[in-house]
Amino acid sequence: MLTCAEELLLLAHDEQSGQFANLQDLLMNTALAGAVLMDLALLNRVDTDLHSLIVLDRSPTGEKVLDFALNAIGTLPAKTKTIDALDVLRRQGNELEQQVIARLIEHGILKEQEGRFLWVFETRRYPLIDGKELREVKRRIADLLLSDEIPDPRDIVIIALAQSCGLLNRVFSESELRSAQDRIDQIAKMDLIGQAMTDMMVELNAALTKLLPYG
Amino acid sequence: MDITEQKADSATVLQFSGRLDGTNSAATDTKLADAVSRNPALVLDFAALDYISSAGLRVLLKAAKQAQTAKQKLLLAGLQPSVKQVFEISGFSTLFATFPNRDAALASLK
Repeated sequence: MLTCAEELLLLAHDEQSGQFANLQDLLMNTALAGAVLMDLALLNRVDTDLHSLIVLDRSPTGEKVLDFALNAIGTLPAKTKTIDALDVLRRQGNELEQQVIARLIEHGILKEQEGRFLWVFETRRYPLIDGKELREVKRRIADLLLSDEIPDPRDIVIIALAQSCGLLNRVFSESELRSAQDRIDQIAKMDLIGQAMTDMMVELNAALTKLLPYG
Repeated sequence: MDITEQKADSATVLQFSGRLDGTNSAATDTKLADAVSRNPALVLDFAALDYISSAGLRVLLKAAKQAQTAKQKLLLAGLQPSVKQVFEISGFSTLFATFPNRDAALASLK
């Protein structure tokens, strides 16, 4: 089974270019931070409530990226604000991203292709090998959003993540998204890490807007 | 956290007391899954439940899904204000029929 972080990057993958949408973006790094925290929560390594994140178990998970994240938040007190844990991991966004891509390659889902643009600039693409896993993630999301079924915890996580990064438009058309919006909102808020992540994205967006001229 | 099981006329009641969080979620998950599989109607009495975390919510989510699949009834009763707040903010209040106390929950099943 793929981790939430792996599923998030798959959803962000553009099949035509073999690249990832907005990967350098501040918000995507926040979403990746949220994804690894959610993975750690699903493995019962961390727990959260409306205010705090508690590290329950620092023992290795066996997943390199999750152990890296567990180690990174190990610098914080055992009980901390969820937003502080997200901030620590967000700052490691590029490292998280590279580790998750490496895992997707190890799983045989992506392959790495080096190339040159205009015969000068080195480029790197990650084409999908057969796209089965991406289709499976999209199908799971679509099935859930178009039904009244109670979601399972992993489904809540992937919907919260996809919603926060605007990736649901890779699953649905604009009109489908509009008609499923109430259901998306209902499911996305069921994850408390997802709620903290969304709050952080709003704050980061507001801070960025202030920095921009005429913002 | 303690869970005690009591039989009533119209349902089985599981009375929770203490905190439901990541330190006891695995054991609660097992206990709840077993109770849902044995009882067509189950009332979870939370009057003495002081605290619920994300891990606790996940346990309840799985139980709700199990009950929905088996077409069984799973009702919640006696949520304390702090637990109720978590349910409202997370939207979990839309997943369950909730009642002010166990008697009201049991009466709804008659």
